[in-house]
Amino acid sequence: MKVFIDPPNSLILYDIVERFGHEPLSTMAAIQERIDNMEIDMPPMNVTLDDVVKGLKYAGIEVPSGIRGRMAVWGPLIDSADAAIIMDDAPFAFGCVGCERSNMMVKYLIKRRKIPTLHVTYPEDEEGGKLFVAKAKEFLEGLK
Amino acid sequence: MSEERETRLLMISPASMITPNQLARAVQSMGKEVTVKETCYGCLVEGPKAEVHEIRDEIRKLDNNGIFSKVRAYPCGDPRRCRAHHGTRPGFAQLESEWKTLAVVNAGLDAMDRGEQAKEVPVREQLSIDKFKKICEVS
Repeated sequence: MKVFIDPPNSLILYDIVERFGHEPLSTMAAIQERIDNMEIDMPPMNVTLDDVVKGLKYAGIEVPSGIRGRMAVWGPLIDSADAAIIMDDAPFAFGCVGCERSNMMVKYLIKRRKIPTLHVTYPEDEEGGKLFVAKAKEFLEGLK
Repeated sequence: MSEERETRLLMISPASMITPNQLARAVQSMGKEVTVKETCYGCLVEGPKAEVHEIRDEIRKLDNNGIFSKVRAYPCGDPRRCRAHHGTRPGFAQLESEWKTLAVVNAGLDAMDRGEQAKEVPVREQLSIDKFKKICEVS
């Protein structure tokens, strides 16, 4: 099954989803498609007109362009997902490499699709790590 | 570039005894037609998708719970990203952050293999203003 991961570029989530036999939907695959097939200078920093139009499907014209740009990449992935794993409060999802408004938008779009979703907390210590793996295993093995 | 191209990032958990050099040599010794680049966190493997997947499954036998992987969008040595060409590396801060967490995920996977049950971790509550005031007054 196709499982959307949030943060969409997380190594931990990508690996865990693959380990339990599912296909992770990540930013990397979407950007690779743009690198291999389009003549853009530096995706995802540079976008095509199509991306702008795609982004408008998920976020209105008054929304900052950074959110629309992110939605142009992540929106179609959420649309094609059969399930989703969301890691709450990942430290790298906010700050210079993240955008909290886009993260909220992603969570809203996942909720609106009504697909099976698992919320996990970012593991900080060993007990947290055990709980994270146990929850992810139970969720991913339960997907059919 | 071929649509079947896959660049995979193999990262070693800080709790693992494998070194990036051992990892890169192990991939090279498999004799597949792939590009291998040793890095500070592990290595990058690039080649046809099927071969890269075979390598991923094979390399996990070295340390199943200590080697993590994900795909990478840009190819190995791409001048827009490779530091040798003075490229930017905007994703590295995130990789570094996740590398530190890999040790606890590694411990979680080990515990799962041993059949241990995970305990629910109590959520840390925010300190109430009254409690905070009392602490301030005491000291």
